[in-house]
Amino acid sequence: MSASASNSPAIELLGLRKVYTKGREETVAVDGLDLVVHRGEVFGLLGPNGAGKTTTVEICEGLTVPDAGEVRILGRQWRNKEDDAIRARIGVCLQETKFHENANVREVLTLFRSCFESGRSVDDALALVSLEEKQGARQKSLSGGQRQRLAVATALLGDPELLFLDEPTTGLDPQSRRQLWNVVGDYQKAGGTVLLTTHYMDEAQQLCDRVAIVDRGQVIAIGTPAELIRSLAAEHFVIVDSRQSPSDGDLLAVPEVVAVERQEQRLILTVESVHRTLPLLLQLFSACEFAIDGLSTRHATLEDVFVHLTGRRLREGEGA
Amino acid sequence: MRWRVVQQVARTAFVEFWRSPAAVFWTYGFPLMMAVVLGFAFQPGTPPPVPVAIVDVPGTSALYATIQSADRLSVELLPPDVADQALARGRVALLIKFDEDGPVLRSDPTRPEAELARLLVERALHDAREGGIETIRAEVEDRPGSRYIDFLIPGLIGLNLLGAGMWGVGFNLVQMRVQNLLRRLFVTPMRRSEFLAGYLLGRSILVIPEAIAIMLFGVFLWDVPFRGSFLAAFLVIVIGGWTFTGIGCLCASRARTIETIGGLMNAVQLPMWILGGTFFANEALEGPVRWIAECMPLTHVNRTLREVMLESGTLLDVWLPLTALLAAGLVAFGLAMRLFRWQ
Repeated sequence: MSASASNSPAIELLGLRKVYTKGREETVAVDGLDLVVHRGEVFGLLGPNGAGKTTTVEICEGLTVPDAGEVRILGRQWRNKEDDAIRARIGVCLQETKFHENANVREVLTLFRSCFESGRSVDDALALVSLEEKQGARQKSLSGGQRQRLAVATALLGDPELLFLDEPTTGLDPQSRRQLWNVVGDYQKAGGTVLLTTHYMDEAQQLCDRVAIVDRGQVIAIGTPAELIRSLAAEHFVIVDSRQSPSDGDLLAVPEVVAVERQEQRLILTVESVHRTLPLLLQLFSACEFAIDGLSTRHATLEDVFVHLTGRRLREGEGA
Repeated sequence: MRWRVVQQVARTAFVEFWRSPAAVFWTYGFPLMMAVVLGFAFQPGTPPPVPVAIVDVPGTSALYATIQSADRLSVELLPPDVADQALARGRVALLIKFDEDGPVLRSDPTRPEAELARLLVERALHDAREGGIETIRAEVEDRPGSRYIDFLIPGLIGLNLLGAGMWGVGFNLVQMRVQNLLRRLFVTPMRRSEFLAGYLLGRSILVIPEAIAIMLFGVFLWDVPFRGSFLAAFLVIVIGGWTFTGIGCLCASRARTIETIGGLMNAVQLPMWILGGTFFANEALEGPVRWIAECMPLTHVNRTLREVMLESGTLLDVWLPLTALLAAGLVAFGLAMRLFRWQ
């Protein structure tokens, strides 16, 4: 590998654009997207379905050809006689792959291992994803979580420098998700770089060193999860369920309350600090003789950042 | 039963089908095309002549002239061994031998056209002899190697190579494409030549035991003779299997849906089923249809297998068709390599 390739960022995307055409209808999937992913970091692409995350990742993986823009993967470019060199250094876990139904776990891994000149042994890969006991099991007898871990194991067989994970935990139960998070964490500790797409806030916050929020094919915010959350006017929320509530003016007059949102009989107050604001809010409700049916607080999440930036939720139709 | 549910399920099934152009074409377009093509091919007209042979011994010239002038019969005068071979290969439906007691008609009545040939020859002989004819005797061809079952078993082996080779590769490749497995393999350093060669190798090997099983079944259960070279027969099976898997691979190289590959497979296989010489000898065909039949790999697999099994064929006797089959497989594989798409 040349010096420039070994010192380069893991991923560099500049002015990336991809338009899908069906008949006369054009859909802009990626619209001038710029991104740099540094080596050794877990980078998350966060956005709602249809934001352009998967198209971006597939362009990085060499599966999709962009209409415009520059793509450098580990300092190399696709379709520049460097495809094999790139593929030997990356690991890919697609959003959905069905392996041969009648092949067992070890056979699938052995097939994928044969594609690489060097890399991990099948036994190592099995141990990494804790599937040693299932190595003789066929696909149809594996749970969703086990299948997904197998998919990640196939991506790790070439001992890749860069790992692409496209919504790796979608549809998995919490325990399976945590198992996969551990696999990703271990991979990063060993020096690997990860580009991850997800629409799970907790996953992004738990795993990612940096996150890019993508909407309508563009990066609308980028930074560490903490930085993005700090960019909000305040980082805490007080949620009050009450049939009657003070006016917005009275609520905003309470020190450190920066915003008021109403959802039927629920008040969502954005506050700078819970411990200072909460007693004052309780006093206000008491003074107005309004009963409080429920009270809770929570820390701001990346979902709130997305709502703040776009006015929409990441998963429209679902709860926050 | 709730009608609105039934209605919605039906509507969804209809829309799902109608919005898949490949499914629509292979369900409606292809059968209509076949109807047009077959309609032209089988326009009402003069039926083709029924081929018969006269064993060429002294004193048969008058008989030859009689049969030659008869309607709906095409006749050849052949030496005894060649005549037997023509009957065994199904190139003629009936043999006419002549001895001091008169004509003997020899055929296997289970063969298509054998009975029609017998009736036409009998009528021709009766018409030729005013005032009656000596008894026309009929012999059932029951010598191993000349029966219809002997003709059929090599054809069934060929047909099995065709089906197993093409469906085994074509259907599975498209299924792998539909399930994203090909995309997943594409993002590894695996080359398409490695993938296709490996896949073809695996499937070609699979068709060998099936073919040998049919051969053994025919030999031991039906006394179908095996007179030629085992090595030649093995090579016919291996190379025939390779050719058909190559064609299957070519069909599957770009198909995106199961409907498309199903239609393509039928489009390629159906003409071979009809004209490939499995159930009846395509050597009796004439004109462009004969040329089409001669271009089909199944024709040569069947013919070569019959030569090796029924007529003491050796590798030297069949090297030319084997080379042609190998070349056809290589061309199909080469095209599949160029056209193949992972996703």
